Amino acid sequence: MLWKGKSRGGSFGYRFFICIIRRFGVKFAYFFLIFIVVHFIPFAPLATKSNWKYFRKIQKFGFFKTVKYLYINYFRFGQILIDKVAVRSGFADRYKYEFENYPAFLEKLDSGRGIILIGAHAGNWEAGENFFGDYANRINIVMYDAEYQKIKDILEEVLAPVNHKIIPISDSEFSHIFQIKDALDNHECVCFQGDRFIDEKSSKVMDFMGRPARFPIGPFLIASRFEAPVAFYFSMREPGMKYRFIFTVAEPRKGHSGMDELMSLYVDSLEKILKKYPEQWFNYYDFWYE
Amino acid sequence: MEKTELIEKINSILAEEFEIDKTIIQPEKPLMETLELDSLDLVDMVVVVENNFGYKMKSDDFAGLVTFADFYDFISSKTGG
Repeated sequence: MLWKGKSRGGSFGYRFFICIIRRFGVKFAYFFLIFIVVHFIPFAPLATKSNWKYFRKIQKFGFFKTVKYLYINYFRFGQILIDKVAVRSGFADRYKYEFENYPAFLEKLDSGRGIILIGAHAGNWEAGENFFGDYANRINIVMYDAEYQKIKDILEEVLAPVNHKIIPISDSEFSHIFQIKDALDNHECVCFQGDRFIDEKSSKVMDFMGRPARFPIGPFLIASRFEAPVAFYFSMREPGMKYRFIFTVAEPRKGHSGMDELMSLYVDSLEKILKKYPEQWFNYYDFWYE
Repeated sequence: MEKTELIEKINSILAEEFEIDKTIIQPEKPLMETLELDSLDLVDMVVVVENNFGYKMKSDDFAGLVTFADFYDFISSKTGG
């Protein structure tokens, strides 16, 4: 089953939590989540089914551990949505942050070639923006048009504007390719999610966590062809209101082999993240082949 | 560079880069369909033009490129050929 170009999370949910956070604070919003998550397990059957498979077959968890992690996964997802809203509502100082390999990433960004940053639907990549300082003005996020419109409509009418720029991908025209190229030529950072695709033709099967799964070739091909430096970025939620921003710098080689190499490095990186943070996998559809 | 020389160069580069038989490239044929270009192949096209002809393509440039003949004229105008 392919991802359909839209992310989970409706406008009511966002607005409800924005209201709770502003009136009662972040921790009170987490408290609400304890009950809401229970509702998600039966009432989001497709997500629950794909999550169940992920914990049982991919993470190879036992029955009871899977039940526990199913709950934790939805709780973390809700927590991350709350954090996203909280950070953009001026509550960023409530959180603690730690960085891994940030200087190496900045060195590449400042090297004059621009950089491609590839993340995943694991953790909360948006949590980091407030801490990129002036660098946030040089961040461009590439996302599917449908996803972009939904997030834009919901968040931008009630929250502070973001510093980063969005490059929406549309099937009907190719302007995003030129926007990406321009951003790199201007020594800016272009961010992709390396685990989503809509068209199977633009994906490649990789061995991921011991099973075949499809990954989009777009981010890796663009990095390889435009000879841009690449870093993988994951922002993972940890206990104690803490986020860990993990950067891994990768070097593409020229030509096609560079793309394959980058995809392998990315998959290795993502595997390490999921082994350490198994509950923070937020692709709620069948990601792996049967 | 003479126009015929430029056309020969363009055809050779396109045939090699997009792995097609050079003989199917004809001036009146549609560029995108013949090369089977999708948005990712467009990345290659942008790189090919920049690396071989020294011109940085812009989004608008593709609007007027329907046939190979258009592409020859476009490259010729940008390279002063």
